[in-house]
Order: sequence, then C-alpha cells, then structure tokens
Amino acid sequence: MKSLYLGALLLFAMALFSLLWGQYPIDISTFMEYLQMKFTAKQTMPQAEYELINNIITEIRLPRVLLAILIGAALATSGGVFQAMFVNPLVSPGILGVLAGASFGAALGMLLSEQWFVVQILAFVFGFIAVVFAILIGSMVTSSRSTVMLVLGGVISGSLFTSLLSVIKYVADPYSTLPAIVYWLMGSLSMADFNEVVLVGVPISMSIFGMIFMGKYFDILSLGDEEAKALGVNVKAIRITAIVLATLASSLSVVMAGIIGWIGLIIPHIIRMAVGPSHRLLIPLSALVGGAFLLLADAISRLALSVEIPIGILTSLIGIPIFIIVLKNARAAWN
Amino acid sequence: MELKPIIEVKDLHFSYKNHNVLSGINFKLYKGEVISLLGPNGCGKSTLIRLILKLLEGKGEIKLNNKALQKCSHKEIASHIAYIPQYHNVPFNYSVLEMVLMGRISKLGIFASPSAHDEKKATDALRRVGILNLHNRPFGQLSGGQKQLVLLARALAQEVNFFIMDEPVNGLDYGNQIRLLELIKSLSQEGYTFLKTTHYPDHALLVSTRVVVLNAGKIVADGEPHQVINSQMIEDIYGVQSDIIEHGLHKRCIPVFAHKNI
Repeated sequence: MKSLYLGALLLFAMALFSLLWGQYPIDISTFMEYLQMKFTAKQTMPQAEYELINNIITEIRLPRVLLAILIGAALATSGGVFQAMFVNPLVSPGILGVLAGASFGAALGMLLSEQWFVVQILAFVFGFIAVVFAILIGSMVTSSRSTVMLVLGGVISGSLFTSLLSVIKYVADPYSTLPAIVYWLMGSLSMADFNEVVLVGVPISMSIFGMIFMGKYFDILSLGDEEAKALGVNVKAIRITAIVLATLASSLSVVMAGIIGWIGLIIPHIIRMAVGPSHRLLIPLSALVGGAFLLLADAISRLALSVEIPIGILTSLIGIPIFIIVLKNARAAWN
Repeated sequence: MELKPIIEVKDLHFSYKNHNVLSGINFKLYKGEVISLLGPNGCGKSTLIRLILKLLEGKGEIKLNNKALQKCSHKEIASHIAYIPQYHNVPFNYSVLEMVLMGRISKLGIFASPSAHDEKKATDALRRVGILNLHNRPFGQLSGGQKQLVLLARALAQEVNFFIMDEPVNGLDYGNQIRLLELIKSLSQEGYTFLKTTHYPDHALLVSTRVVVLNAGKIVADGEPHQVINSQMIEDIYGVQSDIIEHGLHKRCIPVFAHKNI
C-alpha cells in the first residue's frame, strides 16, 4: 500500500514539473497565484500575464501531461498484463506485434477516412489481429507455454504488419500524408489537443482500471490453467477480457502518439523487482510509474535540445540500457 | 437413513484419441472418508481426479452433492472441493502468504481484494499446517515438503471440507512424507474428507479408510484397506512380491525381492 502512495507521489511530482517547466518556465509561486486567480477569481496578477499562463497551461502543457500519463500507464499496464497472461518475461505490446498491428490499422484508417473513431477502431482491430496471429504462430509448433515460440510469433506478426505499413507509406502522398505518418510513428505527444485527449482518454482509462481490478486473477492464472480452474476461476473469460483490454489500451496509445517502445517491457520488470510479483500491486503501480516515466521522457524530449526529439526514440534510448541492467537482475524476480 | 454421497460416479468412460483410459467407472464417495486411489503408472488415477474436478470431460455421469457436475461452474466446484496438486514451481516468486490467499479467490467478488478476514483465514491455515513462520518467504525458495504444506494451507483457506490430492508425498523426503501423512490423518479426524492418489500401498494402509484400486482403466478392488491390500493384489497390480504384516494399529506392506539371495 505504501508503495502505491509513493508511486502516486512520483507521478504527481513529475506532472507538476512538466506543467511548470518548458520554453517558458513558470515558478511555483506564480503557479499558485495563477491557480488562486483561476479558481477564486481573486486578482493576483495582471490580466495579460494570467491570460498567457492560462494559455500555456491549459492549451499546451495540460493536454500533453494528461496524454503522457495515459499512454505511459496504458503501455506499462498492458505490458504487465501480457507478461502475466503468457507467463512470459519477454513479452510486451511491442514484442507481441500489437504496436505494429495498431500502427498499420491507424495508418489505414488515416488513409481511408477522416473520422477519428474509424482510425481508433481500425487500430484496435489490427492490434488485436496482430496479437492473435502471434499467439497462433507461437502455439503452432508446441502446445505448451513456450517463451521463445511466443516471442518468435510476435516478431513474425510485427514484421508482417510493418511490411503492410510500408505498403501504405508507399502509396501515400509523399508530400503530405507520408511525412505525417512517418513523424507520427516515431512517437510524439506534441499533437495533443484537449478534446482528443478526452476522447481517447475515456476508453484508455477504462481499460487500465479494468486491468487493475483483474490483478488478483492474474496471480491465479500464472499458476497454470488447471490449477486456476480448480481454484474456481473462469479461465477463458479472464484470459479473453485481459487480452482485449491490454490490446485496446496499447492500440489506442499508438493512435495518439505513434509507437512508443520499451515502456511495456521494462516498467513491469522494475516494479516486480521492487515490490514482488503480486499483480494486485504490480498492475496499479505499473500504471503510476509508467505515467511518470513517460512524463520524464517527454520532459527530456522537449528540453534536452532546441528541437524536440521524437519520444519513441527517447524511450528506446533510455529503455535499452535500463533493460540490460534489469535483465541481469531479473532472474531473482522470475523464478 | 442412507448417507448422501459427496461424489457419485456412474459408468464413466474416458479416452484420449482411441486409447481408452477409463472404462465403466462406478463409485461413490461419502463425507469423512479418506480414499486412496492405488494403481500402476498410466492406470487412469490422475485422469479420474481430473474428471471429478471437471478439468477434463468424459462420457458418463458425475454428480457433486447430487448435482450434475456438467452443470456446475468451476466456482461452484471450488466451493465444495479443494484441489492440492503435486508441489511445483510457479513462474513468479509469490510470497507464501500470497500463495495461500489465492485459495480465497472463489470467495471474493469480482472487484474485491482480499480483506483482513481473508488474511486471517490464510494465516490460520498456515498455522494449522505448522508453517506460519514462513509466511513472508518467497514460495520458490522453499523445500519440496514446505511447498506441499503451502498448497495444503491454500486448500484449508478455501474453507471446504473435501480435499483432492494428487500424489501428495511425491518428491518429499522420508520425514516430510510421514509428517504429511500424519497431517492428513489428523485433518480427517477433524472431519475433512480426502480423495488422494498414491503409489504407496503402505501409505494407503496407514491413513485411508478405504482403498480403490484401478488397473487398466477399471476399478478392480474397492473396500477397506486391510481387506483390499494383500500380497496377491500387490502382485497382480505391480508384479512384485510383498508381505503384509500386522504392526501396532495398522497392517503394513513390506516389499520382498523376488530373488531371495540378493
């Protein structure tokens, strides 16, 4: 329980930092004055300064902060859930091909329609097809739970959808649609707009909360299907619900911000090393820390250089060394 | 007044791809019994307990407290039967207390977390099997005997009074085997009912109230241990010689080498 408060505190601190720090830094006392003026209508600063800060906070930084939290949380919880579902330390939305499938679906949606929900639905449908395809390939050779085969299935599924995505890029207009797709895929939170964040935030948060509430069942399912059934759990229903929720959350993250890799793999590993494997704690804590991690990566992407670095590139650059360190110690947490 | 059976199996058949594993099984299990299922490897013991737990589906009829098993959900079955598998490794290193708390899952609502009440049931169960001191240890670091006790505690936390055990002493050292048998015996005296498979006729004599012998998918003997287990039966089933001797309260089964001079 204490670790949950700690996680929440970390997320809150990162969110506050991201709201205040940027090209136009706002110090904490000015921020407090701004809040006072916004919510009590007391005149604490000149109207022009208030308008400027209000614009920066509500139009630019707040949507971005919310989006980073949503996406970081979505990817980290989905990763934790996939690892539990397949009892496999090496899977994540990226490795199972979900991100590739969803990006193909979203790109297809952008090509076919301007309707936002068409893009979202196609991203989810193809993300789901990609993961089912990976599972089918993984179980084709051996029916038992094989770590390597499932990862291989995910690699194949991911490559397939990456190729299909290339087809879309090839036929896309090279002056407008193609650069848009390429830049979007590198991963960015810069397109955040408040309405879109709310629109995609509802289904993403619903899936995240769904996965958090299912934590106790993930513990049981990791014992194996027979034992889970004997303990009174409806294994099939839990498994399907979990895969649908994890796929939904990670596919929608692709729609909003392109492919952001590694979070789904490393955050659950780090949490497992810190607080143990019980999914009742692992899943909610992954959500909090995943959100904080993406806020950190986003802060670096905005502030490190004078131009913004695509965040997908950054999470990989930060994620890979962390994962190497984690991998070394992961044997202790994985039996 | 006739007792109602907990489990009633009628004309049960099961086959894997043209290979008959069980054919025409009939038996009833009553409250308070400790039944040992004996039989050679591949005789269908494990298949039978899996069928009773609805982990497999066969042809024929199985009733749980007079209700067709097919109509029972796993949750409903878990409110009558606790399954204690052979100890095994789990992929995640849960603590002992977390493992035992998993026995409470069928009692929890969909969105509920285990409460203080559930934790108390889990610690009571650990205390009953004598390993409360291990509650914080990672399950993966325990010895085989300790793991088996954790799985037994998990079944106790499930708050049912019928346990199905699959070769409970398998892989345990001699001392842990005897301690586990003692625990089964004392739990049975507290009113728990057991159905367990075993490879040891001697253990069946020590703890069972009834022995069911399976061979090639059929029940070949069913009755009180000292009547069912005799030298002839051991030879028919396992193809080895043995002496059955009286020792204290129990009969004992002592193996004898076929070649007297070795």
